[in-house]
This record gives sequence, C-alpha cells and structure tokens, in this order.
Amino acid sequence: MRNVAIVGAGMTPFGEHFALGLKDLLPMAFADCAASVDKGIDKHDLQAAWFGAMATTDGFPSGNLADTLGLPELPVTRVENSCATGNDAVRNALFGVASGAFDIALVMGADKLRDTTSKDMLWEWEAMARDMAWDYPLGVVSPAGFALHVSRYLHESPATREHMAMVAVKNHHHGINNPKARLRFEITVEQALAAPTVVTPFGLYDCAPQSDGAAALVIAAEDVVDRFTDRPVWIRGVGLGLDSVMHQHKRDLTTFPATIRAAKQAFTMAGMTPRDVDVAEVHDFFTGIELISYEDLGFAERFGAYKLIEAEVTSVGGSLPVNPSGGLKAKGHPPGATGVAQCVELFQQLRGEAVNQVDGARIALAHNIGGPTAVSAVTILEGPGANGS
Amino acid sequence: MPNVAAIGTYLPCWGIPARRVVGDDEDAITMAVEAGRAALQSGAGVERVVLVSRNLPLLESSNAAVLLAGLGLDPELEVDERLGGAPATLDAVSSARPRTLIIGADLEPAGAAALLTAEDGLRVRTAARVARSLPVRTRNATGTVHDYGDPRLLHERGLIASLAAAWLDTPAAVAGVDHDSANDLCVGNPPRLPTTGASSSLFALAGMAEAGTTGPLVAVEQASLSGITVSHGTASVHRREPASREMPAGGYADGAQIPISLAAYERAFEAKTRWEAGKFAGSDELDFPPRYRVSNDGDLATLYDLVPLPRVGTVYTETTVHMPVPGLRTPYSLVLVELDDVEVRALVKVTGAEPGSVAIGDRGRLTLRRVAVRSGVPDYSYMFEPESVTSSSGPGTGFAA
Repeated sequence: MRNVAIVGAGMTPFGEHFALGLKDLLPMAFADCAASVDKGIDKHDLQAAWFGAMATTDGFPSGNLADTLGLPELPVTRVENSCATGNDAVRNALFGVASGAFDIALVMGADKLRDTTSKDMLWEWEAMARDMAWDYPLGVVSPAGFALHVSRYLHESPATREHMAMVAVKNHHHGINNPKARLRFEITVEQALAAPTVVTPFGLYDCAPQSDGAAALVIAAEDVVDRFTDRPVWIRGVGLGLDSVMHQHKRDLTTFPATIRAAKQAFTMAGMTPRDVDVAEVHDFFTGIELISYEDLGFAERFGAYKLIEAEVTSVGGSLPVNPSGGLKAKGHPPGATGVAQCVELFQQLRGEAVNQVDGARIALAHNIGGPTAVSAVTILEGPGANGS
Repeated sequence: MPNVAAIGTYLPCWGIPARRVVGDDEDAITMAVEAGRAALQSGAGVERVVLVSRNLPLLESSNAAVLLAGLGLDPELEVDERLGGAPATLDAVSSARPRTLIIGADLEPAGAAALLTAEDGLRVRTAARVARSLPVRTRNATGTVHDYGDPRLLHERGLIASLAAAWLDTPAAVAGVDHDSANDLCVGNPPRLPTTGASSSLFALAGMAEAGTTGPLVAVEQASLSGITVSHGTASVHRREPASREMPAGGYADGAQIPISLAAYERAFEAKTRWEAGKFAGSDELDFPPRYRVSNDGDLATLYDLVPLPRVGTVYTETTVHMPVPGLRTPYSLVLVELDDVEVRALVKVTGAEPGSVAIGDRGRLTLRRVAVRSGVPDYSYMFEPESVTSSSGPGTGFAA
C-alpha cells in the first residue's frame, strides 16, 4: 500500500445553521479545505470522494455532494457508520488511494440535524440506533445509552461526577479560541455540577450540543503530494471496531471494546503505541465517555483516567492534550462531520497552525465511538517532517 | 356450579389506600395478569379465561393474546372478553365450568382480582339476578361520558329497589357501591373493597373466604344486580397488594406519536410478552432476544426453542432520563438487569418505584407492563419492580379481611 497524506483540511463552523441547508454547507466546507492547500487545487483534480453522512435531509447524499461541488462526473461513495462515520470515511478513502486506484481523493462529512423539528428529531434518530421492537419503545435516548456505561464506570472506578465536570471545563476552555466551535464560553466545575440533570449521571454540561456542520479533507498519494504541499500530514493508521448493538449483550459496560479493537488496528498499522501520541481528538459526546476512552485508547491504565484529568495531563499545556479544538463538547456533533472535523483540527496541530497549538506535536489520534457504543473508528496521523517512508 | 379453588388480587402501588391509581405503564390487561398470576400460583390447571372489565384497552382488535402470554397460558385457550361491572363477574362465576380463570379489572379506582374454579374448594351458588335500567352514568362507543347527576335516585331506585326485587336474605357483602352503603345493607362487618367495578365482587369473595364468612354476596352496577350464596369450603387467597404511595411528580412531553413497526412487533411478540429466550438444541446458551445463528462453517440454524427466563434479578447498571421525551412521561429509569442463574441481561424500564430510586445491586422482579403506546398500539413487555415494592405488601393495606 502507498503512503497517503492529507494535503488540505477545512470545515464550516458547527452550530444551528437554520439558514443554511446541507447543499450550502458542503461547498462551504470544501472551499475552506481548498483554501488550506498550500499550492492550490483545481477541483477537477479530485478523482473520487467518500462522503460520511449519517442521515439525509435533502435526498440522495452522494449525488448532493457531486452536484453542489459542480462535479457531476466525480464518483462518490456514501459512508454511514453511526458516530464513527467521519473517521470511517477517512479510512475508506485511504484504502482507495493507498491501493493505487486513485491518486487524489476528497473526504467529506456532513449532517444537518436541525432541519427536523426538535419534537420529531429524537424518535427519528433513535430509529437509526435501536432495535425497533425491544429497545426503541423504552426511550433509550442517546444520552441514556451512554449513561448506562458511565453509571457503571463511576460505580467501579474511583472517578466521580467531579472528574466528568473537569472534562467539560477543559473542553469549554479549549473551545473558546476555536472560531468553528458552537459553545465558546468558560464554565466552572461548580456550574457543571449544579446544571440541570439531562440523564443521570449527566448534567447539561456533560452533553455535547446538537449541531449542523460539514468538514472536508483532500488526501493524496505520496507520488503526487508535492503538487499540493511541502507540509503533508500522513495518515499512518486507521482502525474500525465493532461491538454488540444491544446494551444487554455487552458484558462489561465500563469499557468500549469497539474502541479497543479500532485502536489496536490503527496502532498496529502505524507501528506505534499510545505513548507515541502527542495530541488527540477523543469522542466526548458525553464527558464520561472521554474518561473511559482514555483507558480504551491506552492513554491511562484501567480505572486510571481520573488521574489524567486531575493532573491536567490532557489540557493544552499538559503532556497529552485531548480535544484542543474544544471537542464535540464545545464544537457540537453533526455525526457525519465530526470525525472529519477532528482530522481538520489535527491537520492544523501537526502543521503548527492550530488555535490552541500543542507544542511540537508530531503524532495525533482521532477517535469516535457510537452506534449504541457499537462502533468505533480511530485514525492516527503524523506531521510533516516524516518522509513518508 | 363449580367451586372456588383460589383467588388472586392485585392493586397498583400508586394512590391512597382507598383509591389506587394506575401509572403510565399499567392498564386493565397488566393488572389482570398480576391478579391472574397470583390466583394461579397454587398450580391448578386452567382451560378457559373470562376477563370482565369496562376498561378494555382494545375494543377493536383483541387483548386475548397478551393476556394469555402474560399469564403463561397456552395461546389455544378460549378467552372471553366481557364488557361488564361487578354483577358480570359474578355471573361469570355462576356459569363457569371447573378450571376457568375469571378475572375482573378496573381502572378507577384501580385494581384487579382473579378467581380459579375447580371441582373442590369454596362452594358458591347462584342466588339472584336482576337486570333493570337506570343509566345514570353512560359512556358511548367513542368514550364520551354523560353523568345524570342524581346519587339519591341511583341509591333508591337502583340499589335498594333492585335488592328488594331480588328477594335475597340480608347480604354478608355488597360489591359495586361505596363501603358505607355496603355497611348499611349488610350483616356483620362486610369486607372493605378497593374497587367498585368488575373486580370488586371478587375482592369481596376474597374477603369472605379469608374471614370464613358465609351468606349472600351481592354485586351491583347501577340498577342491575347479581348475587351468589357463599357456603362452606375453603379457597386460597393470594394478595399482591403493596402499600399505597403517592404517584411521583412527572411531566408528559406532548407532540410526538412513537412510531411502531407492526411487523417487528409481531416477530418479537411471543418472546417479549412471555419473557422467553431462544435456545438451540445441544446448546446451553440463551439468546435474548431470540435469533438465528450461523456456525463457523456457515450453516444457518433457525429452529430455536423458546424457554422461560428467570423473573428475578439484580441491577447491573441504571440511568434516569430527566430530559423531556415526546410521547413519554419523564422522569423514568432504565436498568440493565442480570437475571438470576442464567447468563442473560435485560434492558428494561423500572416500574412501581420513584424514578432514580433504584441503584446498582438492587434486587427485584420482572413483571408485564405496558411499556409504551405506539401509534395507538399498546406495546407490552417486562419491567423491573424493585424488591422494596413487593415487600411493602401485607397487613396495613386496609383491604385484607
């Protein structure tokens, strides 16, 4: 397989884009991405596209992408893999280029949650995640599915709601500098703990906001990277892991086996270990998920995640900053776009141009977990300076 | 006439002692199942079921399949769904053959009682039947209620006139009226009854059986009346009557109909309403929900048997949903329960307990409830009732004789 690099990355702000449709957000994200390509790009250079979209609001997703970019001849494949959609789109595009089938490919991710009336959104999205006869009528809303894990995790580990609040405080703090983030304000641990309960043990500030948005990457084979940039960000490892869909079939709810499987694949492919990672974007749809994921990704020992957040290891300035973009927590979570947007942040981090720059970051990791905690995707990136061999 | 072998009673835990109310997850069928299972715990056989109520959840379509599944009875049994009040239930007893399960269920006040007939047991015989018309309260096919508003007329020309027409001895118990009226009309201390509808005559019989009272039992609905005479013999009485508690505050987020796939409903129905797992011959593993399996060499196995699952377990993890969920009453609690003695967990809602009151490690039982109403269809499955609810039953409910 050939080495493949990201040569351009961009995104729309995440938010409630009532005034913008999916067909507006896609060209906006692509233009932002194209503008980041150092030596420029002609959109007709693109030979194929992988489009991550969990739902669709305006009909056929692949065709919408080709149409809105004015590239009717572009072959577009839609990827849908729940919250892991974005990073799985990266993974599939990587295989397309690494195999030699294409030299230059576009990865996009987008979702438009707020085109559905809020009263119908919940049951509409639940239908994508739950067994229709058994789980759907119970009202296992998305935060409740994750809460079943976090309640058990808090029961077995020394972590507390205070540690979850520290994750929220950290990611809100990181989000302030990020112009693409939806929630750009500081909160305190006390505010997080006193916030209204959404689903126990999650208060309002433990949850990421529902948002719309799109993100884009241009990836290129090592043979043609020089046409676009002298500072490519190499995709070193990708992994996709699954787990049982129904919560009653998961044996240990204090961990996400899907993440462990995805991370193992990605680290093996990259020939790296968790100790090599300098900066990470981790799926913090709910704060407790970030803590559990520290352990599943190998950043902390089992039930040791609380130590990292207590010691501010995962804050910008610490030895392993997590979610310097503000994470899903501050940015928002349009599922198809989320993983791609994580790679946009890490592209900037590894090129030294991020708003919350992690000094000397060379290796970065992106992670999602979703689909009732049944699918995870992990992407490992390496910054310029590595020769690609 | 048959004899009465066993009587089971059930009261929801919500409300005040004299007036129970159902939660969002109960209806006439779930209460009938609770009372029926109580009556059946003696282990005697059942050949047919009569359900009497004026609160049947489905007037079109049938409630029989859920009722039989919840009772653990054969789907081939005859189920007679009768519209009626207190007299109709006694009529069902009068005309029953042995091994008939007769259940009365009411929503306001809420409660259900079930009676199992047999060749031996408590002897009863028909004593009176009077059908007279005094429709002071009516409810038509679309549910519209009209109340004439004259309780004195109802008392004098309904109850008293019908009793006179029936030529009965002074009753030992009267069902279908309030306790003070019953007390005025009876000898001795008639049992205090928690309901006034179809179940009330069986609650009265349970009270007489426990106290060893003999004599006429009269059941009244407006101006119609039926009576039986209770004589010698014994019937076992099994009460599921937890102490009453105030219904927890909650909110209902209106607006959305919860969608249903009736194809998915039908596929899941047996396992879901009978609380059964799939098991393949030669394997000890239980699949819940049941499913097809593919072997390592790709062979497809589809012929699993449905086997009963344990109905007690321990909470492995829990969460309580406080956010508004359109179509559901919030807050509500969800628990993942480890069932006793099998490698099976179940994700279920909590019933009979204040939301948020169930903790990891708590013990309880799984019991049939109405999980949701989905696009007009009551969707039944099992819920977790913590031990604290069932252990609150016994003396002090105010209805044990």
